[in-house]
Amino acid sequence: MTRLRRALEGIAQETPLVDNLAEGALRGYRRRRRTRRIVASAFTAAVVVAGGVLTAGALRPAAPVEVGSAGVQELPDLPEGAVGPAGRAHLVPCEYDRESKELDCSSSEWRLVTRSGKTYRLPRATAYAGNDRVPVAISRDGRFLAFYDDKAGAHVVRDLVSGPEVVSGVRVELSKVGPGSMLVLSDDGRHLFFDPREGSAAPGLLVDVAGGKSEPVSGVYEAVSIKDGMLQLVRYIKTDHWLRPVSGKSGRPVRFDGAYIMFSEPAPDGARVVAVEHATMAKRVLSVLDAKKGKVLRRLTLDGLPKQGGLAGTGLWLSDSEVTVFFDAGKGGVRAYAVDVRSGRLRLLEKYTGAAELVALPGQAAGDGSF
Amino acid sequence: MDHEGFREFVLARQQALMRTACLLVGDPHLAEDLLQSVLINVAGKWDRLARTGNPEAYTRKALVNQYISWRRRLRPELPSAHPPDVGGYAHDEETLDRIVLRQALAKLTRKQRAVLVLRFWEDLTEAQTAEALGCSVGNVKSQTHHALARLRVLAPELVRTPSLADLATRR
Repeated sequence: MTRLRRALEGIAQETPLVDNLAEGALRGYRRRRRTRRIVASAFTAAVVVAGGVLTAGALRPAAPVEVGSAGVQELPDLPEGAVGPAGRAHLVPCEYDRESKELDCSSSEWRLVTRSGKTYRLPRATAYAGNDRVPVAISRDGRFLAFYDDKAGAHVVRDLVSGPEVVSGVRVELSKVGPGSMLVLSDDGRHLFFDPREGSAAPGLLVDVAGGKSEPVSGVYEAVSIKDGMLQLVRYIKTDHWLRPVSGKSGRPVRFDGAYIMFSEPAPDGARVVAVEHATMAKRVLSVLDAKKGKVLRRLTLDGLPKQGGLAGTGLWLSDSEVTVFFDAGKGGVRAYAVDVRSGRLRLLEKYTGAAELVALPGQAAGDGSF
Repeated sequence: MDHEGFREFVLARQQALMRTACLLVGDPHLAEDLLQSVLINVAGKWDRLARTGNPEAYTRKALVNQYISWRRRLRPELPSAHPPDVGGYAHDEETLDRIVLRQALAKLTRKQRAVLVLRFWEDLTEAQTAEALGCSVGNVKSQTHHALARLRVLAPELVRTPSLADLATRR
């Protein structure tokens, strides 16, 4: 036996004894059979933007991550104190009751998955207002989690790294939460933007959580991000892009010639964003835009994407030259690519497959479904 | 579904499967999670597997492939200690090898790691490994080559032995 083989054997022998895994597997199997009745499509909201359709938040990792050795039912609640930064949160969807032919959302809940892989239930995070899901949001670095607490009647921002949490002094009635409500959280966890009903004229609310202040924002705008002290807003169709400071003078929007959708957050230089012009969406063209001058800097035709499917959204910048783009490959699931905005070269980051399920990712506007 | 048959199978093979999962994942807790999620799939197919198939081979194959495609963010493996800077020969050479190998495995790609586990711990041939991974024999050869090359850099003590070269060419 070689040293490699011996070392492998040695590591294998260090494996701790496991309890009977059969019962947990059978419990998981029974639960999976039940959840097959879930109407996943009920959670694949469609956001009509500029005549186009963005398939909404249908991301789920390939593995049933919520299934631990202890079984789904025994996941721990998010404890007090530090748990480490978040990797994502996902919504356990409602189930379809065949007899009443209605959705049963009583067992639906948000779950948090930390970067280290631990999954916690979020019992305080209200998941549904009637049949409308209530979003949670995660800061870019995963440190802060924002959710709506029905009992407090307000949003709560929790520091997952050091433990403390702040209940927003700005009350929001649950009845105000409508279809497609959105939530965006700033990097420092201090500001959040709440849009009670995406795509409606109902004004959004920019909330200073620490200061207990809020400011209405015209409902014609939808939020994309809060980054480097700027609330990023977009008025579709026109298209107006507004980097609005969260405090101080509000500045003015910049207009682009053309109907752009799927805006990314601002690049690290704060001057560029990428978006997809609706007219060229089918051709898989990504536009790099000058956010200050309202000009198109570059158009990139994305080669190397799967033949089937279409662009599904843009996301965070990974560096000064790479931005995340999501592609919906239909049955092939959703794929995340890093796109080099100089050359258009693609780099596959992740594949997401499985049933539709709403997921909140760090730094992304939660609830808009644009990944 | 034949629950009793499934229970018997799991009880008999869970520890062996757990060892494979541990070698793949590197963390016992995550390994248990991985194995548990695979066993849920196996439970769903149990009647057919028990009747016509080889449940253990299927489970092992599912384990490896789910590991490779697992989108869950695995905990970074942080070995508890760096190997001591030994000038010549360690008293407990095997312990040292395990520490070095743990660190090295953590730096391989999932597929490279899976190939090493299947070829050098499970003792599968290249053809069997290809079958388990659902890829070509050529791909297994290529992955093995790259994995060993990486190990030569990361853990030269483990692959400097002549017999390892024999392993690499073993069919």
